[in-house]
Amino acid sequence: MFERNLLAAALACAFPLSAFAASDAEVAALRAEFDQKLKTLQADYEMRMKQMESRMVPAAEPTSRTDKLGAVGSGSSFNPQISVIFDGVYYNDNKKGGGIEAMEHIDGINHSHDHEGHGHGELERGFNLRETEIIFSATVSPYFDATLNLAVDSGGGVEIEEAYFDTRALPAGLKLRGGRFLSGVGYLNSQHPHTWDFVDQNLAYRTLLGDHGLKDTGVQLGWTPKTGSLYTLLGVELLQGNEQVFASAGEVIPDDVLPGEGGLKPKYAGPRLITAFAKFSPDLGDDHALQLGAWAARGRQHQEVHDHRDENPAAKVNGLEGDATLWGLEAVYKFDAPGAYGEGDLTLAAEYLWQRKDLAVAFHQDNPAAIGLGRKFTQDGAYLHAVYGFAPNWQAGLRYDITGMTNKVERQGAADVGYEASDRWTLAVTRRLTEFSLLRLQASSANLYEDGDKNRVNQFFLQYQHSLGAHGAHKF
Amino acid sequence: MRILIAVVFSLAAQAAWAASALNVVATTASMGMLAREVGGAAMQVTVLAAPDRDPHMLQAKPSMMRALRDADLVVAVGAELEMGWLPAAINGAANPRLLPGRDGYFEAAAQVSLLDSGQAADRAHGDVHPTGNPHVNLDPVRMAAIARALAERMAKLEPAQAATFRAGAQRFAAAAEQRVPGWQAQAAGSPGGVLFHKDGNYLFALLGLPILGYVEPVPGVPPSASHLNNLTAKLKGQRGVILHHAYQPAQGPQLLASRLGWKTAVVPLEPAKDADAAAYFQLIDTWVAALVAAKG
Repeated sequence: MFERNLLAAALACAFPLSAFAASDAEVAALRAEFDQKLKTLQADYEMRMKQMESRMVPAAEPTSRTDKLGAVGSGSSFNPQISVIFDGVYYNDNKKGGGIEAMEHIDGINHSHDHEGHGHGELERGFNLRETEIIFSATVSPYFDATLNLAVDSGGGVEIEEAYFDTRALPAGLKLRGGRFLSGVGYLNSQHPHTWDFVDQNLAYRTLLGDHGLKDTGVQLGWTPKTGSLYTLLGVELLQGNEQVFASAGEVIPDDVLPGEGGLKPKYAGPRLITAFAKFSPDLGDDHALQLGAWAARGRQHQEVHDHRDENPAAKVNGLEGDATLWGLEAVYKFDAPGAYGEGDLTLAAEYLWQRKDLAVAFHQDNPAAIGLGRKFTQDGAYLHAVYGFAPNWQAGLRYDITGMTNKVERQGAADVGYEASDRWTLAVTRRLTEFSLLRLQASSANLYEDGDKNRVNQFFLQYQHSLGAHGAHKF
Repeated sequence: MRILIAVVFSLAAQAAWAASALNVVATTASMGMLAREVGGAAMQVTVLAAPDRDPHMLQAKPSMMRALRDADLVVAVGAELEMGWLPAAINGAANPRLLPGRDGYFEAAAQVSLLDSGQAADRAHGDVHPTGNPHVNLDPVRMAAIARALAERMAKLEPAQAATFRAGAQRFAAAAEQRVPGWQAQAAGSPGGVLFHKDGNYLFALLGLPILGYVEPVPGVPPSASHLNNLTAKLKGQRGVILHHAYQPAQGPQLLASRLGWKTAVVPLEPAKDADAAAYFQLIDTWVAALVAAKG
């Protein structure tokens, strides 16, 4: 305002003399001219002021018409994202350290066929370093992502847990995975130990799929069709069928029993194991989530060599071969409470697994007449667990797991054999210090049958886990 | 079986017919508000995160994958705020249009300059975001810039509607910028406040107010007794207010408030899921009012 008055005064001063000498008409004309000039100047001035004011608005950004693509991230450009997960436990049990071994000798149809090259289970009483997981992942090209997951055991042995590629650009909700990977069957199968809510694997998985779950080499095709508000994932996998407890080919009768060829058939060409799975999840809003799933697997060729001479020198060696069928059902419910750091969150998960190995005797050391007789092995298992966030960053988990509700061998030309069911109760309390560290206390009490004898096995774990590097995904 | 197939196909057909305009998925309610303001009333926007949940902590739920499966555009806050769940959900959705770097992936944080960027990528300081503070949603000026960028992105995806999108962004930006001097004038003279988490920083900076401390000792870690003792000692005799969200535990803020003789104020981080610009500006009003009240 002050500047405007000044301007008016200056303009007034510019016309003083002519104003005195002029007539009324001239005065009127001059005044009109003056008013006109003043108005123009004022308008011009106001426009400039407005422009200046608008420039003073904190314009954090360029006003050009642009938008930036991509994600702001701390990922290191072309280098893969790396994470390392440290896992250690203090362990004790009521069997002078024999509790872990007892888990491996549970009565059932797979008990004598431990094909695992290494075990998560090899713990001694006291402090143990469990497998260290090292995970690399990156985008290969516009078309592929790739992931490598290495497990380094405490002795320095390295195993490729997973090494696979995923397609990025397939249309119509399709995704192809190839390499070595954890199968998509079931709810827990594709989860790595560091994402488990308990220290150890449940009995159903351990006895029917192996300690790691079902993991093999092959391809997986996933399809997420358009099904309205219902989430649907359908998948099919073609796998080699190597070294699974229910799908293993290329076994041989020991040379000292059967020199040269014969006995079991040679390995069929892969894929020898086919799986199919389906998962459905209705949209239940922000608080609730439910996922239901079913799966089946079929192994075209399975071979077993029963050689118990280590335990009993008089034992006779025999070989079986045939095929195997599995199926399972899963249900997962999650409640997401508004509390911070997971307080009030609840997870309920349950799975049922069923397995049949339909085999026939292919070799028998002292009874060739048995060759061709059928041996039908059937076993099932289940678990149910609940995990509740009872305080910020604190979780309590309760699990019941059982294997062998059905647990039998139907033998052609001989009496059937039945085994008891083994079960366990587990309580775990987890303290998450941050997103990247946790401490877990777990106690369990199991009734395990070994050679028909019931053993009460109580186990105690104190676990730590730390993850460094890339921020892990919060998977459902 | 035949019925099942028929149902599946009719559902698929319905979904296809409904997708006549852009199908937008927003990670948070603020981003959903922005998408609707820019896109216009006709735009179908699904918001993934409930406004009363901590956006860091969510899980990649199947329902998120479901929503992302058919989306043309995902509007994320970004700068690793949704790190734990959005990449996993996009991956599970098997929708290549939404992969970062494609036109279907929009990150708000990528459009503006960020506070605290370039700090040490060291988790000794908690769950830090080395690329910068991702909580841009409480800064109306940055949100205005994000709206303009979002309009350009939507225009790229649906060129026929470009004018609508630009007009929507301009309307939001003008409304936001027009309110800023008022908020600044109201808040002037406020002593500032203590935040629970580093999520009000942009608004404090806009209002020119100091952040007197954080209830969390480091980001992502709940308050400890010793940290609250230190805060009390540091702030004794000063004036201020303690701001936190409903989902953050109230014990820490209340203890601190009682020791300092301050008040706590529960302020939301996000507006309602179906919020419009007016509701978003009300959210800022709530924060400003809490800070004005601290003048005492």
